[in-house]
Formats: sequence, structure tokens, C-alpha cells
Amino acid sequence: MITCYDWAGGREAMLRFGPADGPIVVLAMPLFEEANRTRVFAVTLLRALAEHGIASLLPDLPGTGESLTELEEISANDWVESISVATGGRPSHIAALRAGCLIAGNAPALSRWYFAPTTGEAIVRDLIRTRQIADREEGRAFDPAELDADGPPIEFAGNRIPRSLLRALREAESDQMPPCRIVRLDGDPHAADRHVPGVPLWRRSEPDNDPALAALLAEDLAQWVRRCAS
Amino acid sequence: MVPEGKPEIDKTVRAVLRDVLGISAERAAAFRDDTPLFGALPELDSMAVAGVLTELEDRLGILIEDDEVDGEMLETFGALAGFAAAKALQ
Repeated sequence: MITCYDWAGGREAMLRFGPADGPIVVLAMPLFEEANRTRVFAVTLLRALAEHGIASLLPDLPGTGESLTELEEISANDWVESISVATGGRPSHIAALRAGCLIAGNAPALSRWYFAPTTGEAIVRDLIRTRQIADREEGRAFDPAELDADGPPIEFAGNRIPRSLLRALREAESDQMPPCRIVRLDGDPHAADRHVPGVPLWRRSEPDNDPALAALLAEDLAQWVRRCAS
Repeated sequence: MVPEGKPEIDKTVRAVLRDVLGISAERAAAFRDDTPLFGALPELDSMAVAGVLTELEDRLGILIEDDEVDGEMLETFGALAGFAAAKALQ
């Protein structure tokens, strides 16, 4: 169901899944290009979660998707606030994909569940690399030192991102205060509570889906939320 | 666990190309050392190159510097696997 929520800077769209009562999960999406590549997957995951009887919310972050706010006006705190207010004050469990953990990790929650969490430093490095490779093809050179100089937003693969947001993200770490569960893909050598088979859809140039992975994660998340809610 | 040993690293490079480019396991398994990559695989555009390198960094626990990224390391499967092994096994 399509609904919306209000934050200090305006109104944003939000998808709602599952029953009207019981525990509720708010899902924080990955950032920038990774969000486009995993949108269908995220919806598949939350539909599967609803089949386990657990409700969820998928808020559009300000400055992303159909938002009327421009990305260049956004600060990292706006995103943390939007996740906090999306539930309308109802105590909720937070789930996050990739860099979503950097935002959701700092919002109040009954529990946290992260899939393939990443650091802000890695996200910013990836943005810089994509820009450098694209610029080189066109005979230009991008200097990453630009991030630390004052100036207009910098464009990365079609996203105009404010320098202050890039600098804040580069330092951002996710809150892993218990109760917190981390799930990663099999090929990922970082520590996790569980490793699962699947493909890193956030790296694909074209959006794709992995319904088997979504079903597996939905089951894991449902069990986790029930354990934390009881 | 970060993969150790050249055969393990070849396997990881193959898996990264398969997963990031969305090509079939059969196609990835058929890559030989002299199989051309950049310019020969339509899936491997500049956006995908960034994804392949970043995913290799994550899975192998390595860091690839910007000045190391050139056409040569992406020319063939063998060149990319050799680059990854030199980084991971140093």
C-alpha cells in the first residue's frame, strides 16, 4: 500500500506491507545508485516478510526517488530523522541494506538487522572510483581532493551530492548496539552472524532480482524480530 | 575467510565477474587466461568496471589504487586474475 510520512522538510512517499498490528520493521535502503539496483529486491523481501505475518515500512528518503526535495539540499541528519519519524512514533525494528545501516543505525529502534552492511568510507570510495573511470573515458581527470574543498554539489553517476554530505558519510559508521544481527553474502569475508548464498545485486549495472535470497532473508528477519519482540 | 592461494583467487575473480556482470556460471567457467574482457564483454562497461574492482577488494581484502587501474589489467581474464593474485598474496 502506498502511503506517506511527514518530516521537518516536507512529505515523502512510503510503501506499507503486511498486517495492521504486531511488530513493525522499517527498512532503510542503500544509498545512491545502489538504491536503484535493489529497489525491486527490497519490495520482494518485504512482501515475503508480510507472508510471515510481519508488517513493514519502506520510506523514500528525502532527496531520493519521487521526493520533492533536491538531493543537494540534504544532510545526513535529515535521513536519520526521516527514518525516525516514518513510523509515526510507534516503536519499531530497523532493517537496513548496505549503506542504509549508516542512517538507520543512528535512529532509535527495538532491534537492528543489517544485510551486507558497509562503511561510509567504502561508499564514498566507490562513488569516486565510478566518477574517475567515467571521466578518464572522456579524457578528463577527477581529483578526489575536491570533496574537501568548498564548492557546489559534485555529480556522481547522475546524483548531485553536496560536499558536506559526502564528508559526513565518509566518517559514518553504523551503530551496532545490541540487539543487532548481521547477515552477509557467502563471498563476503567480513564477520557476520550468518552468511547466505546470493548475488550482490547492488553491484549490477542493470537492476535485477533474487527472489530466493529475498525469501531466505525474509525468514531470517522474521525469526529475528519475533525473538526480539518476545 | 579471505581466499588464499592462486586457484582460490582465480575462483573468486570468476565469481565476481559472474555476480557483478550477471553472466551465466557456464560462461564464467569457460574463461581462460587469454579470454579478452574489457572491450570484448558487452556487460563490462565503465560502470561495471567500478563494481568489479570494488567487489574484488571486498572479497579479497585488498585495496586497488586509482593509478593501478588501466586497460592492461582488464584486457584478459588472466591479466585481471594475475593482478588480483599479486595484490592478495603479497
